[in-house]
Amino acid sequence: MPKCMIDGREAEFKPGQNLIEVARSAGIEIPYFCYHPGLTVVAQCRMCTVEIDKMAKLQTACSTPATEGMVVKTQSERAKKNQASVMEFLLINHPLDCPICDKSGECDLQDNSYKFGDLYQRYTEERRTYVDLDMGPVIKKNMNRCIHCTRCIRFGDEIAGIHEMVAVQRGNDTEITTVDGRPLETDYAGNYSDVCPTGSLTLKDFRFKKRAWFLKKTATVCEGCAKGCNMEVQQDANVVYRCLPRENLEINKWWLCDEGRFNYHYVNDSRRINIPVHQSGGLAPTNWSAALSSARAAVKGKKVTVLIGSDLTQEEAQLAKSQVPTLFPGAEMFHYGTPGVISAADDAPADKILKRKSKTSNLHGLERLGFKGFTAMPAGTQAVVVLRGGRATVPDLKGVTAVGVGVFSKPQVESFAAVLPGLSFVEKDGTIVNFEGREQKLKKAISAPGQSKPLSDIFKLWASAEAAR
Amino acid sequence: MSETLYVQHLNEEARPLAYYLSKMDGYTALKKAFTMAPDDITAEVKKSNLRGRGGAGFPTGMKWGFIPKQSPKVKYLVCNADESEPGTFKDRDLMRYTPHLLIEGMVIGGFAIGSSIGYIYIRGEYTREAKLLQIAIDEAYEKGYLGKNILGSGFTFDLTVHRGAGAYICGEETGLLNSLEGKRGEPRVKPPFPAQSGAFGGPTIVNNVETLTNVPFIINKGGEWFAKLGKVEKSGGTRLISISGHVKKPGVYEIAAGAMTVRQLIYDVAGGILNDRKLKAVIPGGSSAPVLTADEIDVIYDIEPLAKVGTMMGSAALMVVSEDYCVVRLIERITKFYAHESCGQCTPCREGCKWMEDVLHRIEHGHGREEDLALLLDIADNINGKTLCALGDAAAGPVTSFVKKFKADFEAHIRGKRCPSA
Amino acid sequence: MAKILSPKFYDAMKKLEPRYPTKVALLLPALHQAQEETSWLPSEVLEEIGEYIGIHPAQVREVASFYTMYNLKPVGKYHLKICTNVACCLMGAEALVEHCEKKLDIKLGETTADKRFTLHEEECLGACGTAPAMMLNDDYHESLTPAGLDEIIRRLS
Repeated sequence: MPKCMIDGREAEFKPGQNLIEVARSAGIEIPYFCYHPGLTVVAQCRMCTVEIDKMAKLQTACSTPATEGMVVKTQSERAKKNQASVMEFLLINHPLDCPICDKSGECDLQDNSYKFGDLYQRYTEERRTYVDLDMGPVIKKNMNRCIHCTRCIRFGDEIAGIHEMVAVQRGNDTEITTVDGRPLETDYAGNYSDVCPTGSLTLKDFRFKKRAWFLKKTATVCEGCAKGCNMEVQQDANVVYRCLPRENLEINKWWLCDEGRFNYHYVNDSRRINIPVHQSGGLAPTNWSAALSSARAAVKGKKVTVLIGSDLTQEEAQLAKSQVPTLFPGAEMFHYGTPGVISAADDAPADKILKRKSKTSNLHGLERLGFKGFTAMPAGTQAVVVLRGGRATVPDLKGVTAVGVGVFSKPQVESFAAVLPGLSFVEKDGTIVNFEGREQKLKKAISAPGQSKPLSDIFKLWASAEAAR
Repeated sequence: MSETLYVQHLNEEARPLAYYLSKMDGYTALKKAFTMAPDDITAEVKKSNLRGRGGAGFPTGMKWGFIPKQSPKVKYLVCNADESEPGTFKDRDLMRYTPHLLIEGMVIGGFAIGSSIGYIYIRGEYTREAKLLQIAIDEAYEKGYLGKNILGSGFTFDLTVHRGAGAYICGEETGLLNSLEGKRGEPRVKPPFPAQSGAFGGPTIVNNVETLTNVPFIINKGGEWFAKLGKVEKSGGTRLISISGHVKKPGVYEIAAGAMTVRQLIYDVAGGILNDRKLKAVIPGGSSAPVLTADEIDVIYDIEPLAKVGTMMGSAALMVVSEDYCVVRLIERITKFYAHESCGQCTPCREGCKWMEDVLHRIEHGHGREEDLALLLDIADNINGKTLCALGDAAAGPVTSFVKKFKADFEAHIRGKRCPSA
Repeated sequence: MAKILSPKFYDAMKKLEPRYPTKVALLLPALHQAQEETSWLPSEVLEEIGEYIGIHPAQVREVASFYTMYNLKPVGKYHLKICTNVACCLMGAEALVEHCEKKLDIKLGETTADKRFTLHEEECLGACGTAPAMMLNDDYHESLTPAGLDEIIRRLS
């Protein structure tokens, strides 16, 4: 592999790689704002400038491919002076919002100012301000904080495919906005907040809820559809506050759709059933023993059909496969999850970016285990046991007696005989299989709420209750 | 005075095709060009030492040579008629008085580089000139000097006038190309250069109006002849110089390249200082050129000599300032221009130009501070050479030169807390 | 949506289409052509242009707002743009602006109450040899004096 020198260190590179990436692989940080590996290079912020032998002017590392024998200095006096001066230029109009800004603690402007900027400010002229128009339900705009890196513009145009975020006016007055107060149209609006290096574009969903440095992070996978985008769950004290994309160049690159990003709300929602319930003048909370009793009574002596949500993990589905014949002899098992998507063959891209038609994450995994898709209730079914991970859409049960095992919300199950609460996708480890047949791991990020139990425990309790009779 | 090519034709009578044909050897160069190989045309232009007349002074023949011959992509020849550098008004005269020179130059240029599609990007404010250009283009189409199979050569060339809409930055060649494509006129990251990927992704040459109008002369009389017209080694031909400001005879003058000093241009050509006042400052190459004091005007007016003394010839626009105008006020206005025209893409220019304007404004209006001069020099230094395009340099250079060379004027403002001439 | 722009606009655009390899390249000519009819460019006109070219209205706005000649706010019947750049300043443009402001009783950037005159300062117009200069709608007026300006205003009032 060809080599160049960066700060006296030899660095290998692939032909065409820009100096930021080459330096990164050599363990050297070159600061930047406008550069993003997923977007076109514009070399506008001028923060990544480095000194290169035989070139009179400082060069932007983002737009300079490494060449054999190139000698690069990232911390020469000239390079350092330029970094400090770019930081100064960016801060002269930037409001001192850190104490109230969501981005604090994970802000490129803060971090780079601390590392590469000056200690003092000498700007005494009047600061430029803007009037913010609303941008819709996902993104909160604060144009005064913007440093004009144009990542958001490029994201909208190049990735989301909608030329809705634009720069208007020019020069120092340039404003980056949607026009006429239009809300953002894209289903990928959350990514605008991810790419923004300051608190100019933030998530309304997260606004003022939690300081970034209190959040504990878990690497997992989104359950929003069969794409299997890599995701990071962020929580504090067992409450999920935010889900962000995790880089995976083979699946979702750096992006998440809004449906997947905001899917987590049901996990901590007050309407989620996390205490066992059964019918007692309406669906009422009770204890595990009483709920199990009611559940067993509901299916005793009846022809049972078992519906297995394709939002469950491979481990849970495998468990069902082995336990159901014992617990519910003669019961037929089907997987369900998305209306209109009966089998893996029905799954297809739902847009040109990430989304798939199957709105559960493990449809392909369940088919691999041999389960068939639910089309109609088998004739003569008198009771149905519905297993659900939290996302699957329960089909119309046509008034058949039902018992829920897993994650449900009150309004969904008012008529159920009993519900035995289980674990959502952020409360358990497990394997799911995406549309390409790729196995990925869910990882537990928070503890099970209330009295929710893992499926294995629920089956054990049911079995021992049977045995006790 | 030595031979002039244009200036005798810069009047209303010269515009029609009939005049061009009978009095200016119109379209004879084109006929001759069609008997030459395209590469030989480029070689002739290289020999001529013709340098870009827009401001950068890049050798034209060399630029034409950068077009990749084997490229399957559509090639474009674009004329930069955006003329917006303050002090410059020579291309305007060429377009309204001798438009056919430009048309013929473009057809020959297109033939040389292998392009059949030409655009004239003309600044939006030149509404009348755009109309006159279109009339000339219509004449040329009618008589077969434009369109398909020109003069039976088999070569096709189509020419379209494309109006800008008020943005100095569209005079920067990649800003121009973005504007031509229907976008904001923001300059592009280079490389790739226009010769590789320019208009609509195709190999493109962008040339100034005056540059292209020289091409028919070069083809008719030869590159060597043209080179010899110039009085300095590196520059061939004559230059159209726009002289304005506090002179008795402002206007467009044609001088052999390197034939005169700045002093001669001011006092011999332009008649000396208006009202016989004392000379204070000279801006030699459009407002982007660092200023010269009255003691620095014995320099030869050409590209290399001016660069050697720390300024530039730029668009060959000489602006003369007598003691009758405050130089601090002047550099404030110049800096306001750059802040207004900055496209806003890159940090140093977007933030720094406005900052310099604000500081200069304070100084001019009596609220300057002792530390402001060092501050201005530092801001300018932080902009210079660090921006995506040359507009940053164009703003920083003049500020640095005014602050350094007229320090006493600035200090008088700061200490006296007012503009002494207000 | 009902069309605001006339058939003349669409005819002019049709004639230009074959001269460019993309339709987006028609955007600047389209904005000029539309403004000739409507004098300024409200959102509805920008949207109609966007529809014609096949681009998002935000894209039309981002381009239109970059260039000073496209009026995104209403202007008076006579748009006076007095150059205050280097040569014109040297030749008295600032006094000319002050004179004009007094004469029309408006400040730079404003329009007279009867909507007849709008006054702006302008950057270098390329008429430095005949400074001071101004644009009145599409026309240049050069070697301008206060008396000359008074005469122009008188004729147009």
